[in-house]
Amino acid sequence: MSNQPIAPPVHLPRLSGILRALLQADLTVQLRNGRALLLTFFPPLAVLYGLSTAKRGAQLGGPIVNVALALTLGIALIAILGYTASVARDRELGVFQRLRVTPAPTWTIMVSRLALQILSMLAMSVVVLAAAAVVEKVTLDPTAYLLTLLAVIFSSAVFLGVGQALVGLIRSVDTVNAVGRLSFLPLVALGLFAHSTIFGTTFETIARWSPGGAVASLLSGAMQPTAWSADTWWALLASVLYSVVFAGVGIRWFQWSTR
Amino acid sequence: MSLEINEGEIFGLLGPNGAGKTTTLSAVEGLVRSDSGSIRIGDIDARANPIAAKARMGVQLQSTSFQSDLTIREIVRLYAGLYGVPLARAAIDELLADVHLGEEASKRFGQLSGGQQKRVSLLIATIHSPPLVLLDEPTAGLDPQARRQLWDRIERLRDIGRSILLTTHSMEEAQAVCHRVAIIDRGKLLTVDTPAGLIEKHKDDPRVRRVAHGQVTLEDVFIGLTGSELRD
Repeated sequence: MSNQPIAPPVHLPRLSGILRALLQADLTVQLRNGRALLLTFFPPLAVLYGLSTAKRGAQLGGPIVNVALALTLGIALIAILGYTASVARDRELGVFQRLRVTPAPTWTIMVSRLALQILSMLAMSVVVLAAAAVVEKVTLDPTAYLLTLLAVIFSSAVFLGVGQALVGLIRSVDTVNAVGRLSFLPLVALGLFAHSTIFGTTFETIARWSPGGAVASLLSGAMQPTAWSADTWWALLASVLYSVVFAGVGIRWFQWSTR
Repeated sequence: MSLEINEGEIFGLLGPNGAGKTTTLSAVEGLVRSDSGSIRIGDIDARANPIAAKARMGVQLQSTSFQSDLTIREIVRLYAGLYGVPLARAAIDELLADVHLGEEASKRFGQLSGGQQKRVSLLIATIHSPPLVLLDEPTAGLDPQARRQLWDRIERLRDIGRSILLTTHSMEEAQAVCHRVAIIDRGKLLTVDTPAGLIEKHKDDPRVRRVAHGQVTLEDVFIGLTGSELRD
């Protein structure tokens, strides 16, 4: 290119303005996507209702655990199915490449999307906790509610990390969607039995330390701060480790383009 | 490859498929990182300061896509925000009306025709009045009317002092709008001059004479220098 200045200097956009523009666009997309909204609220509420009315629901660990399981499922659905699908689709369409040629630092593109996902998870959690008060008669004191929402943020890191790893390792949209659904079994469904010996103690131990089990334990611990135990600390530590490993893999191998 | 684009110049990059046109543009845009060499936008080193460089260039990618759930108005607002040019709704509508898309403001990008999509892309590429505009095959797939309209818009950008680097497969386009043209192949610069200068320079080249049918054209020069074999 020419060494001579070819026009008056152009000002650099502010980071706050870039983030505002991205967040506004991502929020609009999120709110306009009926499937994403349905995926956000309906399944965890259905699971909560199902567990509370099922004859053997109590064997999974009781009302608090049922709420934690519903929250775990909700968080995992948003992250593993919703987030990965939108990232894989936009990458295939070239949306990211278009954003990357603007002065927006690349990290802002992902931070905006992740922030929206966490916001969705918090909104889902508030709705599930409100429903839990009605369905399961589970009401918490304000500290427990705050701690639970904090635990939701930690839990979101686990499953968003899983989602990031999926879109980092797999390029094709269809394969991302298929593997996302398949990964539900070991990553999330296993966690349903983290507090149950229905299938024996060995299975319970495996389930407890699966990503879903660690998250469910952390959430149920946060809902009962007075009963916070060494197991809850281990669940927190496991969640942090899962987040770091999955996110590390996802960031290391993520490609902005499929071409 | 060494290229210099002057202020107010439309510079065309010609080459067969796989020649490296899009890769060259991608390196300037910061989408691919070059192993060596330098890219300067005015006094900005694009490799050392990519954000500042990107603020000084407007880009139209070969296959542009925007968020499918956003309307055209929302897309323009997003990109205006990313370039630090906050625009009110009325200002956005005015810009869209200027490119004859006033009535399409509430439509999604995918609902527009090819020509309309290209106009949106060009509007977004120039929304921050960048000194350098990069256009990757801007008229590919357009009908003659839409192509002429886009040429007019590109020429208007040149008239207000913008420098434009475009890639094209169309010799007609290169001759009609480009001040200078570079022919590249396999990542190497083969020749660069004005369209008329290229014909004059290469008209006696045996490779060009062999493919010419009568008077030598820019296309004869292009095929003569890059070969007749089909490229994927």
